[in-house]
Amino acid sequence: MSGSIEVRGLTRTFHTTVRRPGFGGALRSLVNPERVAKQAVCDITFDVAAGELLALLGPNGAGKSTTIKMLTGILTPTSGEARVAGVVPYRERERNARNIGAVFGQRTQLWWDLPVRESFAILRDIYEVPNVEHAARLREFDDLLDLSSFWDTRVRHLSLGQRVRSDLAAALLHDPPVVFLDEPTIGMDVVVKEQVREFLRNQVEERGRTVLLTTHDMTEVERLAERVVLINHGRLVLDGTLGEIRRRFGSTWQVRATLADPHAVLGPLPGIALVRREGPQVVFGPDGSGAPTVHQALKAVIERYEVSDIAIDEADLEDVMRAAYVHAEAG
Amino acid sequence: MTVLHAWRAGRVTPLGELYAPPRMTAALLRLTVQVVLVASLWRGLYAQSGTTAGLGREQAVTYAVMAVLASRLRELDQYAGRDTVQQHMHYGTIVYWYLRPLPPQHYYALRALGEQLYGLAWALAGYLVCLVAGVVEPPGSAAVAGVFALSLLLGQWVLHYVMLVIDQLCFWTLRNGAALMILLFAQNLLSGVFAPLWYFPDWFVTLSSFLPFQATLSVPLSLYVGRIPLSDAPFQLGVQAGWLAVLALLTRLLWRRAARRVIAQGG
Repeated sequence: MSGSIEVRGLTRTFHTTVRRPGFGGALRSLVNPERVAKQAVCDITFDVAAGELLALLGPNGAGKSTTIKMLTGILTPTSGEARVAGVVPYRERERNARNIGAVFGQRTQLWWDLPVRESFAILRDIYEVPNVEHAARLREFDDLLDLSSFWDTRVRHLSLGQRVRSDLAAALLHDPPVVFLDEPTIGMDVVVKEQVREFLRNQVEERGRTVLLTTHDMTEVERLAERVVLINHGRLVLDGTLGEIRRRFGSTWQVRATLADPHAVLGPLPGIALVRREGPQVVFGPDGSGAPTVHQALKAVIERYEVSDIAIDEADLEDVMRAAYVHAEAG
Repeated sequence: MTVLHAWRAGRVTPLGELYAPPRMTAALLRLTVQVVLVASLWRGLYAQSGTTAGLGREQAVTYAVMAVLASRLRELDQYAGRDTVQQHMHYGTIVYWYLRPLPPQHYYALRALGEQLYGLAWALAGYLVCLVAGVVEPPGSAAVAGVFALSLLLGQWVLHYVMLVIDQLCFWTLRNGAALMILLFAQNLLSGVFAPLWYFPDWFVTLSSFLPFQATLSVPLSLYVGRIPLSDAPFQLGVQAGWLAVLALLTRLLWRRAARRVIAQGG
């Protein structure tokens, strides 16, 4: 089954009651409530190919979770259409449920009073997974997430990291082709975060699962996602690869080289400017709008000069995304 | 049929109890103390009088003790297990009920069935101990026992729906604590757990007949002790079945509206 996601003009409007300030205002709101419409998601269109990991990014309140809820079938869009693994999620919720797995941040789907393994067994029954398949998948997930060290512990006694690992396993035990992860590593320590990232990478590369991930952790995006969709105020403002986004919002790289010959004469390199030179130490940076990427610049410097040491400094993704958010706000 | 494969979801709450032995010990202690106190109270009340409100001493004690035992049928600690509908609404975990191939209403029913069966094991064990100890009387005949079993089944089914309505309220109010307290008081008072309805004034009994609580416990227990004769059983069973049908329709409608609400708000 193809695990692709197609989103076309997806829009969701919420109607809320405006609370007026003060006692009189509260009374007036009670007698004559004022209803306002708020577009949480507005005309969003994008695709995720089967076996791709896409990061859905945006500031708080941008509409990421609302989008995920529509794609999981929990929320019905006001207009537009979505297909997840060939199913319209909000029309065929039960069929869609078999094709997807989901983890919503720190909300656990495990049974608080039961050992983790019992929760897995209940989900096995609910999803009608054959025992042999279930056992094999548990072994696989145990190898990657080290579950057996705590799976006989009751969920209420697990640490956050253990619980999120268990939740990830629980979401994938029925072998769904599509996985939705809404800030899955929030509040976790770096070691567990890395374990979770490794697990996700494995599931995408080895199992071919399609993953739609929302996160505020740019290291996670950098390590996992090739492609990013940025939304702000419910609108899609950017859809591209990390390289494209860096080129557009983060061309502040520097190449630092130590020349083998400290007296070498430096000639012009297209799109690359000499920023500084102190004896054999030279620093190059982008020159104008046609500047190459940092990797192209690195290659050009190495090809032109004999260097004994070379390093690159790039604006980190957090700076790049900040620039992208600011650009989106201004636009 | 997912619901057939998922029947083992019914083990959720009983398993939670089995993994928490202190809860079981507390339940055992409470039940023992309650039975002893209730039996002593009714024996004491009847010490100076004969038949009152159509009930003899042994009938009254049997009724009161069995009402205590029956209360164990639906008294498992979902709250401690963070598994009440209110808690799922509060923590936002209700979304997972709508992300599974098993519809929420089926999951809820399976879970309730597991609780009922587990509670029944407790109530049955307590009943046998009380029977051997001579605290309660055996049923008058095999026919009475059969009718009582059927009536108790219908009564517990009605009670399940009443509890479900209260839980479904959470989809609109987020919290159902106040409603639950009112319900528990009404249930205990109007079903005859506090005292058999036969001791209340006629107007009170008439009023309570318009509510479903009588059908949950008062009817089966009155059939058991013989306060309602077997000849009236078909009518009483019919009333219970009527409540069952009304509440089944109401809760079905509420599940649909609750789903619409979740779909509108996104959990």
